[in-house]
Amino acid sequence: MILPAADELLAPVMAIDGFRLACLIDGSTGMVLATREFRENHDGPAPPTAAAGAADVINALNLLNGRLATGENLEDVMVTFSDSFFMVRPVGLDQQPQILLLVIADRQRTNLAMAHRSIRDFCASFTS
Amino acid sequence: MSQVAKRTRVRRLADSVLPGRVLPRRTVGGYANLIEARLRKLAATGSTGMLPMSGHGDGAIFFRGGRVVYAESTRVPTPARRAVGLAALGLVATDAGPASTGAELVVAPSFDRLVDMLAFTEPTIDAITELLSSESRYAKFRPSHYPPSGQMSPLPIETVLTEVERRRQVLRQLAPVVTTDSPVVRFAPRDPPRFQVSAAQWALLVRTGDGSTPRTLALALGRSVFGTTIEVYRLLALGLLIVPGHAQAITSGAPAHRPAEVMSFMRALSDAGGGGDA
Repeated sequence: MILPAADELLAPVMAIDGFRLACLIDGSTGMVLATREFRENHDGPAPPTAAAGAADVINALNLLNGRLATGENLEDVMVTFSDSFFMVRPVGLDQQPQILLLVIADRQRTNLAMAHRSIRDFCASFTS
Repeated sequence: MSQVAKRTRVRRLADSVLPGRVLPRRTVGGYANLIEARLRKLAATGSTGMLPMSGHGDGAIFFRGGRVVYAESTRVPTPARRAVGLAALGLVATDAGPASTGAELVVAPSFDRLVDMLAFTEPTIDAITELLSSESRYAKFRPSHYPPSGQMSPLPIETVLTEVERRRQVLRQLAPVVTTDSPVVRFAPRDPPRFQVSAAQWALLVRTGDGSTPRTLALALGRSVFGTTIEVYRLLALGLLIVPGHAQAITSGAPAHRPAEVMSFMRALSDAGGGGDA
């Protein structure tokens, strides 16, 4: 990762039950800024690949939002895989640079609603 | 008797002693490959100092203990407070005050702290991408030139080169549509559709005029050239900007020609040979 000093900022999201991986990504460039992994995430997703995928998803949705022109902002993205949840949320709406938070969690051990709330609170505290 | 022409031999001898060593054109990326080898050697020897670069992108890369701590190029935005190395090379004037100690980063809120860290790191990566992409030459390493303090966390050279290669692949994807130096103009149809853009995109749109390129826009706004090129590409995908000559493909061409279906960070990562480790 590019900002190793920023890794500590991700400590709060590691408390999410079933946590596997978290990344902070610069959405404008796709650059991975910081990464935290669960210590037993040996067979888990590779952070650069997961981060690049998250940046692509947000890029596509921003283009969609630009064309829809409803005046709304993208708040978060939740993707459910057979074994995991893939959650992406811009840290701070309409802030520059657009920093994205990616969290991947074990589907069997994660309460999605609680995880969603934790991520929302983390992003809110991050920008306050 | 040597089979090499006298003029060629003289040029080779001159190249070997001139401060700006000219690198061979043997292969695509030959310049960048030799510069990368030089950077790896400086990292392996734990060097501290400055490697001046010249060519299309004049600038310098600073090392501390074999790690990259700073870089700048005349072809990417260089705010006055960061223009330490370029001033040392006599490339820009600077009125920068005392070097930051970094203490202010500790007391700032988290998001601001992150943005502060990124504010130093992004221009460095942007500059190195530029220096390694242009036909740059490196000069003699200057150990006596110490890097400016309090700039960014020292980065291993492999981390930097991996990110630079990823950016090259993204730029390669964008090249058929837009490059950092492609002129772009606003597209104003008679009956414009509704669009929604971010504040960053709006800032680009209102500044786009005759002769604007992603680089000139980045320089005007003090933003990353790489990031601005991607943002311009997104505006092209929305049809709000056009590259003269590409108008048909964007506004009335088949969907397969639309730029929105070209760029992928994941593909850039796999093309760069990454994706395994952090």
